[in-house]
Amino acid sequence: MTMTPVNLSSTVADDEPPVSLWRDAWHRLLRNKLAVAGLAVVILLAFVAVFGPWLTPYDFLTQDLAARNQAPSLAHLFGTDDLGRDVFSRVVYGTRTAFVVAIVVTTIAVVIGVTLGAMAGYFGGLFDRIVMWFTDMTMSVPNLLLVVVINASLKTPLTAWMEARYQATLNPFYRETIWVDFLLVFGSMALISWPPYARLVRAQVLSIRGRPYVTAARALGLTNRLILIRYIVPNAIGPLIVSVSAGLGTAMVLESAFSFLGVGVNPPTPSWGNMISDGLRVWQHYPHLLAAPAAVLGLATVAFSFLGDGLNDALNPRGSK
Amino acid sequence: MTAPADNKPLLDVRGLTIEIETRRGPAIIVDGINLTVGKGETVGVVGESGCGKSLTMLSLVRLLPNKIKVKGGTAEFAGRDLLKMSKSELRQVRGGKIGFVFQDPMTSLNPVMRIGDQLCEPLIYHRNMSKADARKRAIELLRLVGIPGPEQRITAYPHELSGGMRQRVMIAMGLACDPELLIADEPTTALDVTIQAQIVDLVKDLRKKLNMSVVWITHDLALIAGLVDRVAVLYAGTVVEDAPVGELFARPTHPYTRGLLASIPKLSDEQASRLSSIGGTPPEPGRRPKGCPFAPRCALAESVCHESVPVLESVAGTSGHRVACFVAQRQMKEAA
Repeated sequence: MTMTPVNLSSTVADDEPPVSLWRDAWHRLLRNKLAVAGLAVVILLAFVAVFGPWLTPYDFLTQDLAARNQAPSLAHLFGTDDLGRDVFSRVVYGTRTAFVVAIVVTTIAVVIGVTLGAMAGYFGGLFDRIVMWFTDMTMSVPNLLLVVVINASLKTPLTAWMEARYQATLNPFYRETIWVDFLLVFGSMALISWPPYARLVRAQVLSIRGRPYVTAARALGLTNRLILIRYIVPNAIGPLIVSVSAGLGTAMVLESAFSFLGVGVNPPTPSWGNMISDGLRVWQHYPHLLAAPAAVLGLATVAFSFLGDGLNDALNPRGSK
Repeated sequence: MTAPADNKPLLDVRGLTIEIETRRGPAIIVDGINLTVGKGETVGVVGESGCGKSLTMLSLVRLLPNKIKVKGGTAEFAGRDLLKMSKSELRQVRGGKIGFVFQDPMTSLNPVMRIGDQLCEPLIYHRNMSKADARKRAIELLRLVGIPGPEQRITAYPHELSGGMRQRVMIAMGLACDPELLIADEPTTALDVTIQAQIVDLVKDLRKKLNMSVVWITHDLALIAGLVDRVAVLYAGTVVEDAPVGELFARPTHPYTRGLLASIPKLSDEQASRLSSIGGTPPEPGRRPKGCPFAPRCALAESVCHESVPVLESVAGTSGHRVACFVAQRQMKEAA
């Protein structure tokens, strides 16, 4: 408590601009040093992801067989790999892959999770039970196993189908097998990522559903859809933002894990995961091939994690000082 | 003091019974309530906590919590039974024809929406207003409920307003679509005494201006004495006495009503006497006595009171004063 004399006329805050909950949270976030550091790294990585191709000295695909397996130097900051490709350029381009995967997968997972979770929590009953049954079922299957099974069983038939369509229509769209990769990688990752969001949102909605302002909204005759979108979801969003921030980092790790297992983004498109996978085979001789992508992946994960923790504190004013 | 000449009441609740599911089976919380509200009439519904006041009103627009169900009775509003309406008809009544003001203004407004947007919502939904028109109307409403500087306040979030201001916003929301009936569920309980009086005066003023009926739920008889035309006294889910307000204060007939009136502290009391109170507690749902629900706490109870349940009967020589008490009814007959 400060001892400044209270100006009675100003207690009603007549001229002050309204301070929104979000602006309050933003100020609290800026006071948290780790969170600011995390935010800075995330912004830097996002910048690199967007403008990467214009920042790198080399193309990520150009092979220079005269300069294979070079140690880091001024010409090649992170050295070169066994095909003479510049590792720095590949890591930079891998950032784009990581962000695309993280954002697309998390977006799909959040849309599915929030929709199902919010409806399950709000309507309850049979719908709730069925959604929760699917959630539990998905969560009870080992993630990696599920993704490997989906990829292994669907990739060949899908590619064959695309080829058949191309033969039949000669539409060049069907030539691009990259769509199969995207569909399978993004689809299977989203499939295993939505249940935690659904659970989180359902729990939030269950506690918000009974609040007086929801009853008041119903007494105003508003429709369930309007109440869900305007009254319940916005009040449930705090914990979700925290979870999404951490989830983006997790999705990057997940993508790397899949690439490592050979079910992720396909070479030659650089991803941190397949770079780690390649580097691991020769790490005793050329440790930089493993260290560079691994370090960047670690940095990204830690940054998202710090940012998530910071957001958690910022959005829960009662949680901590 | 009296309802307008139009004989058909705006709201006519008959035999409304509400049950709650408990682990030991269903228990009755509201037992055959009869209540009428005429057009332009203001009715106070009085009773202690847990007597079923709020549930009765929530059941009218079918907003009861999950485990609580209406088991019988009708509730006609402007000639249509609210309890049998379709969901979409009901949504038109909610907010459009019946406005609600809730007990706790601190938690009854959406914390992440500006109050202007919350006010506009029912207008856009029920009245198909454009955003700009709804905004104008929202400013008018805020002015109507006495909020200074409504043009600025419309962009405020609920946490920027005081409790009294928020309750005014709640009232503005209840009034947004010119309802025929405003149900105020203990709207002053969470407020300071001085603010309570302001809110009572505000509603008193508004109901004349807008020519609407008001049901004011409260446990504070003194607060509403100057506001309401008629009072229904509830005990354990039944109406025990129903009378014009002046009549009720002049001649309280049910022992419970007398107890309530006696427990209002008076400044005129010369010596500091102990506050009068009614001994005992109301029956729990599921453990209702066989006879009159008030009999176990009643000083005048006779054997008949423990045996059968009294019904509302007119008090001789009055208009519209009814009481459900064997003893009072017998005493009146003897006096006559």
